[in-house]
Amino acid sequence: MIISQSTMDVDFVRKVEALSGTSVRRCFQCGKCSAGCPMATFMEHPPNRVVRLLQLGQWQRILAGRSIWYCASCETCSTRCPNKVHLASIMDALRKLSWDAEGPSKESYVQLANKLFLQNIRTYGRQYEMRLAAVFNVKSGQFLKDLMLGPKLISKGKLKMFHSKNKNLPEIEKIFTRIEEMRKKGEAL
Amino acid sequence: MKSTNSMNSTNAMNPKKAIYNMNETLKYSYYPGCSLHASAGEYDLSTRELFKQLSIGLTEVPDWFCCGATPAHNVDELLSLSLCAKNLEMAEQVEGDLAVACAACFSRLKTTQHVLAESDVKRKQVEKAIDAPLKLDGKVKHLLEILARDLGLERLAASVKKPLSGLKVACYYGCLLTRPPDVTNLDCVEAPTIMEDVLKAVGAETVAWSHRMECCGANFTLSRPGVVIQLTNAILESAKEAGADCVMVACPLCHGNLDIRQKEIEGVYSVNYGLPVFYITQLVGLACGLTADKLGLGALIVNPMPLLKEKQLL
Repeated sequence: MIISQSTMDVDFVRKVEALSGTSVRRCFQCGKCSAGCPMATFMEHPPNRVVRLLQLGQWQRILAGRSIWYCASCETCSTRCPNKVHLASIMDALRKLSWDAEGPSKESYVQLANKLFLQNIRTYGRQYEMRLAAVFNVKSGQFLKDLMLGPKLISKGKLKMFHSKNKNLPEIEKIFTRIEEMRKKGEAL
Repeated sequence: MKSTNSMNSTNAMNPKKAIYNMNETLKYSYYPGCSLHASAGEYDLSTRELFKQLSIGLTEVPDWFCCGATPAHNVDELLSLSLCAKNLEMAEQVEGDLAVACAACFSRLKTTQHVLAESDVKRKQVEKAIDAPLKLDGKVKHLLEILARDLGLERLAASVKKPLSGLKVACYYGCLLTRPPDVTNLDCVEAPTIMEDVLKAVGAETVAWSHRMECCGANFTLSRPGVVIQLTNAILESAKEAGADCVMVACPLCHGNLDIRQKEIEGVYSVNYGLPVFYITQLVGLACGLTADKLGLGALIVNPMPLLKEKQLL
């Protein structure tokens, strides 16, 4: 494919830079990020290529794949970058933009897990792993996933069946709604 | 550190008790995090019992809520910062620096302080979202820092009743305790020693091994367990090769992957690791004379009892 001014979408890249507080132009492709990335083998675009694609304005290719959803946020890339490109924050920004646009990513399980996790915070204030795992299995259609672990975990007291009500639930709900309102008014990305 | 006046005349006259008196000046507010109230109950239990034993004050922040962990910052940084900022504000109401047990909560709370101190734009947005003034000066400390630095290795060593002699431990740091270094500020980012220092102070041996800072896959355990099985296998393999009897962690997510999934991993790769995985508070607590019950050792999936009996530590 030929890369020209017309194939580059620089506005999107500026948004990524604003959200992540880091500049993709600082990267000179040394590859240290991909060398240390524990998840690179699961990605179609390893971390250094994600930055290169951003430099070239080819962000659609990143969002269409699963690379950003397979980042474990281990922060190895950001720690080792000689040019202080905060790649872990770039991954956060890309995921947010993909998430908001309900983008065409191939990776749905990670997104489903994230969604349920955030819903749990809003509804209960804290995470209850058993509920999280059970709902995830049902919604992802994997009814038997990790079923064998269940009885063992329950016998060891590791899966709490009941939970207490968090007194801060109204406050948590307010945080969610205030952020939604700020976004509607264009006061936050 | 906010201190309280705890030295009283009777104890000052008793030199044996003096060590514990000094510790009483240590008081912390406590943010256990969601896992410690569910799948990692033994981490919570052993932390409370150990701190009691060392006479370190620990008061749980009332009605704390989830920090948002990885899923929140993955897709919504503003939400993640706001949830953490509100928890930090609530922690300010309780006396003492904030003690955090989970490496992920520790990372999120410290990141929030770091990001909001640097960005005026984000600071204003978060202030609006939580509708309260931001409190960012309170210190957030992982339990490791409290044991190694606030209490100090000398005082910790003086509290040991049963040194962990002969126990070879692989200290597993994982990702978020040390990375990124300008945020966590815990120890050298590529070659930390804080865990080894603590364990040596309580008489254990530590092994040198390759995978102590590699990622275990963390919360992919829910969405993509195959990833966790592959990454965690490499960690267990490395610990075994280095001649470790067991692994020690300071994070409930690392623990879940190394301990709960260990049997499954052994099956997938047709190997036998049999490595018990302890929390730092369990091993230090054992050395300080706490019983297996008080440390929740029975809740570990890989049974640690045969190893501890063999080393005559029970």
